[in-house]
Amino acid sequence: MASLSALFDPELLQRYDVPGPRYTSYPTAPQFTPGFGEADLRRVAAASNGDPIPRPISLYLHIPFCTSPCFYCGCNRIISRDKARGAAYLTRLYREIAMASTMFDRDRDVEQVHFGGGTPNFLDPAQIAEVIDVLRSHFRFAPGERMDCSIELDPRFITPEEVGELARAGFNRASLGVQDFDPAVQQAVNRVQGVEQTLGIIDACRRHGFRSVNVDLIYGLPKQTLEGFERTLDTTLQVRPDRLAIYGYAHLPQLFRPQQRIHAEDLPSPEQKLDLLRLAIDKLGQAGYEYIGMDHFALPEDELARAQREGGLHRNFMGYTTHAESDLLGLGVSAISHIGASFSQNPRDIVSWEQAIDDGRLPVWRGMHLDADDVIRADVIQSLMCHGELDFDAVGRRHVIDFRDYFRDALARLAPLQKDGLVEVDAGGLHATSRGRLLLRIIAMCFDRYLAPAADPAAPRYSRTV
Amino acid sequence: MSQPGVVFPRTGPGIMSDDGDALTFCSTCAFSQACLSEGMDKSALMDLHVLVEHVGPLHPGEHVFREGDSFTAIAAVRAGTVKTYQIDRNGHEQVLGFHLPGEVIGLNAIHGDRYPCNAVALDTVMLCRFSFPKIATLAQRLPNLQQHLFRLMSRDIGVASLFARDNSADERMAAFLIGLSRRLAARGFSPRRFQLTMSRTDIANYLRQAPETVSRVLRRFEKDGLLHIKQRDVEILDLPRLEELALAVLRD
Repeated sequence: MASLSALFDPELLQRYDVPGPRYTSYPTAPQFTPGFGEADLRRVAAASNGDPIPRPISLYLHIPFCTSPCFYCGCNRIISRDKARGAAYLTRLYREIAMASTMFDRDRDVEQVHFGGGTPNFLDPAQIAEVIDVLRSHFRFAPGERMDCSIELDPRFITPEEVGELARAGFNRASLGVQDFDPAVQQAVNRVQGVEQTLGIIDACRRHGFRSVNVDLIYGLPKQTLEGFERTLDTTLQVRPDRLAIYGYAHLPQLFRPQQRIHAEDLPSPEQKLDLLRLAIDKLGQAGYEYIGMDHFALPEDELARAQREGGLHRNFMGYTTHAESDLLGLGVSAISHIGASFSQNPRDIVSWEQAIDDGRLPVWRGMHLDADDVIRADVIQSLMCHGELDFDAVGRRHVIDFRDYFRDALARLAPLQKDGLVEVDAGGLHATSRGRLLLRIIAMCFDRYLAPAADPAAPRYSRTV
Repeated sequence: MSQPGVVFPRTGPGIMSDDGDALTFCSTCAFSQACLSEGMDKSALMDLHVLVEHVGPLHPGEHVFREGDSFTAIAAVRAGTVKTYQIDRNGHEQVLGFHLPGEVIGLNAIHGDRYPCNAVALDTVMLCRFSFPKIATLAQRLPNLQQHLFRLMSRDIGVASLFARDNSADERMAAFLIGLSRRLAARGFSPRRFQLTMSRTDIANYLRQAPETVSRVLRRFEKDGLLHIKQRDVEILDLPRLEELALAVLRD
């Protein structure tokens, strides 16, 4: 593969810096409607058991609590220091697990479990291990070598010994939030986190046999400088995390209230932001990382990079994964499920979620059934987001359509992108150019039926592309 | 008929709206061969046509008839799949068969005056219903029609006894898939690609296997390169080998 610096084209990145979905799903969450309820979820789950070879199951568990608020955060979370809230939450979560698990035939393997948040390690390791035990008593877990068990960790609230407890509970992947080691930035975003502390946790994950460690960094944060971010990158790359995510900070204080505590005047300019991204890409390239897609990088020997080379990469709400398509069951407040040709989401407010469970109902807030067109477009967008390319014949065969005819409008929308060198189209297919790969979602947006051609930039529903 | 190679159950826009006319039967009708190829005269065709009543669309889970309903009509499937089943003494469902476009349901009610089984739509189903007393009377005048009715009946019995013999799980699954492939091909659908419109439990029940066995056998077929399965979509990759495996059951 060409060096990573070929990805970076400041002029293009600036021109295409428009709001757009991240396509962890297609259609995206704004298309979900309250018309989809518990009965629908039960029907699609029953139908998923009816496949001749039912798909494996992935489980996502949302732990919404955080001990302290990071100001950049756009996640759905609850700030609390009260550990009793965690225990009360788990009581209901277990009831949800028990109720939801009965929808699935018992001979279906769970191949993926992911804990996200919030901060999953708001719970102590014994509680987290207990959740795994409860899951095991309701689902059949795949054998260890096929089982991915991952957790998002805030290194400030876990010790190396506790990482050992998680490993014993079955966890074999971790994702650590770092963002930036620069003390000035950490102050400005209200997340003060020591280098030693963080590296100690990465080291503990390795010692306890975790298959991969991911580190999240963010560029575009308040008070961020090239010098400071370079030190952060150097420090991080020294321990060579298997995977790195470099997110662009999207300042949308009208959408995410915690961001109102970030002073706009502390934010880097768009030009400085691009310089920060360029720096990260150069550093990662020199360190031998490969670009996976969206914000994700991985070492060449990591499973994600291998899967991408072999055409076996997938994308779901948990990000990129090597697991072939599975039925995803989301558990906990705000969690999203993707079962068969449907999406559904639990209530985002904890009171509604609690109420449903106390009433003995599955907590479904909204969702949708995908129609035949949604399914075709989801496949196309998945292929773009994972591999940056499309084989027209292959898509056509899979869905019994004539690709060029079916997507005549989309291909016409691609023309300016083609002219700008983001994408190359020929008779057999299309692929993102090196310069286009950072703008995959711009290419994918051409295939999105729900996007109004002229989105109003004054009222962004999605964060910006870069 | 559907366009050759169309993947079942997808249908062209023509099929759902194709109601035929006085002289032309709809493309998927079980009786179309009886009249077209065997030279009925115009008055006979019109006599047959007035007996036809179009029913549907029925939605998944809707019943065409239930066990014990009084028998008045046989029905030909125009689009979709109909499952017939009985409930045994212990309350367990026994799947009797799956009826595809062009096939007739209700024939096993002819000897009595009530339907001996249930018939339910598995997907969106369109039917042609024929009043049985009337078609029987007409058949007395039209030997071709009578012959056709007998042929339909004997085929129905043949299908029901397919899995009564002692065959391995692999052989039964192969026979099931080859059976579907041939029946769909006869109606102009692709013999190699089709959707399994019935659930895993229904297939398992029909083949007298556990649902896990259905998945295990199909996974093995996939590994051996016989076929490829994605959710409900089946693509047969090695038809000769699958037919060979099915031979022990099908014997023809």
